[in-house]
Amino acid sequence: MRERPKILMLGWEYPPNISGGLAVACEGLTKALSESTGADIHFVLPRLLGGESAPHMRLSDSFSNTVTYTSTNQPEISHTGVHGLSHQTATAALAGEASHGEQPSLSAYAGYAPGESPIGGQEVHNYWLSHMELYFNAKSEELVELSADDDRTSISKKAHYGANVFEEVSRFTRRVLKRYADTDCDIIHAHDWMTYAAGVALSRLTGKPLVIHVHSLDYDRSGSGRNEVIYNIEKMGLEQATAVIAVSHYTKSIIEKVYGIDSSRISVAHNGIYSKSAVRFYRKKKKAEKSVLFLGRVTLQKGPDYFIRAAALVLSQIPDVNFIMAGTGDMLPSVVELAHELGIGEKVHFAGFLSGKEIEEAFSQADLYVMPSVSEPFGISALEAIHFDTPVIMSKQSGAGEVVQHSLKFDFWDVERFADLMINGLLHEELREDMVAMAKKELQKIRWEAAAERTMEVYQQLL
Amino acid sequence: MSSVCFYFQVHQPYRLRPYSYFDAARVDEYFDADKNGAIARKVAEKCYLPTNKLMLELIEKHQGAFKISYSISGVAIEQFAEYCPDVLESFQELVRTGCVEILAETYHHSLASVMDEEEFHSQIELHADLVRDVFDVTPSVFRNTELVYNDRIGQFISQLGYKGIIAEGCDDILDWRSPNFVYRVPETSTALLLKNYRLSDDIAFRFSDKGWESFPLNADTYASWLHSISGNGETVNLFMDYETFGEHQWESTGIFNFMRYLPEKVLQHGDWDFKTPSEVIDSYPMREEIHFHRLTSWADVDRDLTAWRGNRMQEASLSQAFLLRDRVIESGDEKLIEDWRKLLTSDHFYYMCTKWAADGDVHAYFSPYESPYEAFINYSNCLRGFISRLEKLEKMKSTISAIGDVLPVELLREHSQSV
Repeated sequence: MRERPKILMLGWEYPPNISGGLAVACEGLTKALSESTGADIHFVLPRLLGGESAPHMRLSDSFSNTVTYTSTNQPEISHTGVHGLSHQTATAALAGEASHGEQPSLSAYAGYAPGESPIGGQEVHNYWLSHMELYFNAKSEELVELSADDDRTSISKKAHYGANVFEEVSRFTRRVLKRYADTDCDIIHAHDWMTYAAGVALSRLTGKPLVIHVHSLDYDRSGSGRNEVIYNIEKMGLEQATAVIAVSHYTKSIIEKVYGIDSSRISVAHNGIYSKSAVRFYRKKKKAEKSVLFLGRVTLQKGPDYFIRAAALVLSQIPDVNFIMAGTGDMLPSVVELAHELGIGEKVHFAGFLSGKEIEEAFSQADLYVMPSVSEPFGISALEAIHFDTPVIMSKQSGAGEVVQHSLKFDFWDVERFADLMINGLLHEELREDMVAMAKKELQKIRWEAAAERTMEVYQQLL
Repeated sequence: MSSVCFYFQVHQPYRLRPYSYFDAARVDEYFDADKNGAIARKVAEKCYLPTNKLMLELIEKHQGAFKISYSISGVAIEQFAEYCPDVLESFQELVRTGCVEILAETYHHSLASVMDEEEFHSQIELHADLVRDVFDVTPSVFRNTELVYNDRIGQFISQLGYKGIIAEGCDDILDWRSPNFVYRVPETSTALLLKNYRLSDDIAFRFSDKGWESFPLNADTYASWLHSISGNGETVNLFMDYETFGEHQWESTGIFNFMRYLPEKVLQHGDWDFKTPSEVIDSYPMREEIHFHRLTSWADVDRDLTAWRGNRMQEASLSQAFLLRDRVIESGDEKLIEDWRKLLTSDHFYYMCTKWAADGDVHAYFSPYESPYEAFINYSNCLRGFISRLEKLEKMKSTISAIGDVLPVELLREHSQSV
């Protein structure tokens, strides 16, 4: 074995261009893997959007093969169709808005309300499912052929189905196969479903072991309204991976139960947090009115409707509380509607998508941070809230609860209990202070180094 | 001559039911009768009944040479009477042997001693009355909740006429002195019996610890440790939770067999016997005054009050609960007063303790709650429910008294007019 194992990582997004926890997790994990366990990482993204800074590894763009260490180069914004993204969306992504405001069909993490028909109709779904299956089932020689395909040819016949995230994924897969067929890495490590086809295909082509890292699952995002294409991509990836890493025991149990994967192949590496030295300090203002923060995609997965219903119960007892909902998503209109129906429109503030400094301010100024997710693989934002001295109330269906003991937990469907916890959190300063004091101590132990050590253990078994 | 002095603590709190904020307006019951009954019966099966049986056998076998003492909280006695009367009967049978002393304590196993002196006094009297009723004896030695003690508490107890009080043999207080003598509460004639925590904890905590150098401990070895004190002490005070037998140390650890053979091993040495706390005080001289300049307890390594009053949640809820006293007593409503006192039991505050969690050792101590925060929230909700009930009662009383002021005159006038 080499002194520094060479890892080819396949990812979908990287800070500062983020749509959720995935980018943050990829940054945290690679930093710790490279700095504390000495992995030599080459991280491949569909494309660099500018502003990425990754001095700890090689970061490259699957299209231009631009290699960056501290990239400040302006990316080329290509014409519609070339990257599978509309010009508008690419610009939005550049502005840091990422997928929050996109059409669901273009977002890798769109939620699907139960009963909603697959986007584009069943026919489109069937097409993409059989298309993606190719990468998982093809023999090596077929893969070489596939990868030789020009971007447009293989799907040109079906062009009327329009640009969507599967087209993006397919293009990324072919690019990866083409560019890295001769990789000298020791291990391929793929993050979330968008990269599984590339990981599985490249693993078959090169004979290198594949680690699949599960940050989230279609099950989390869609509830019972499963997206068959994504679900099947996940299932095929999980089945064919040499090893699987889940971000929580909660996620591990879903991989086992819902995807039927043997638990002995799944390791758990909890996400961590870096105590950034550059963190700005925001003093909590002594305000007459208390506030509760919800921050995340406004989709089925994140339980925004439970938040609004519980807020109404809180307001029935304590009238002077502000509820901040930061984020956008397909459920936003119905959630706004719900707040009005319940007569609490004036007390619920929709802040839209926040980024960078705005997020830090929001965390700092809130009296409570809530995460009522229906199914949350981890939920790094819970750690971030604690970092800014804000106590956390989260659903029991959240992986972060496994490492954050000093938080309050409830079953996502138990709106009255959720309201009970918020009311007590708002009424009792002593509760907030004791929780934050203990949680901050706990946070020091939730380090990325620990996740890197667990990941390295998985690597060692494969080398 | 040297003596072994056993005192066992028997206590079960009235655990709270899950009580939501919204229950405050609709539920007047704070205690979980099903759960409390189930726990009382479970501990009765595992500990109280078999251990009482063993103690009775040992007393009969040694024909008066084996003696022990108990402190049984009022709330435990109440629950035995309600959920497992056979336990209460077996304690009564033990007391009738004359070899068992019952100590005084606070009826509700509360921290009244550090929160409210009047309430402290009331709870001691309530407990003494209960002990007289149930066991037909009058306690003369006092032990405070969790052995909470300082000079002020010792002097207060002395004024109430108790001849002795029990406290922890803390190293920082004892300094070079041994816990194995009788001491005196400063400026009183009340005796101070100090727990020999090393020898007590060998049984209560270390007995089944496989990593302990003396594991497995047998009665021979333990008796030899006691005997080695000969000439250097007059009383070895072994104070522990009674639930040590069968509950903290399971039967499978051999704890019952250990206890079965211990008395004969101790008595094999002609200079050793067993005495109850009162007999120790009557038999040995008080060596000197010992000042307890700080509040001590028998809890964990800190031997202070931080397990009950160590964080802001505990401070806030303790003071909120105790501050209600005048209003509660004023109400004259017996059920309300009783409920309030059950809410003062120290266990409720213990469940809110966060200090263990500092070491990531969240589950090291027993609690019915998932976290100290949930314990605090449930307690706060119950207290809120209690306060709203109190307020309703107060409002009703003031209405009645207002009517009372007006009514007779009105009635009189009406009456005179009609005549």
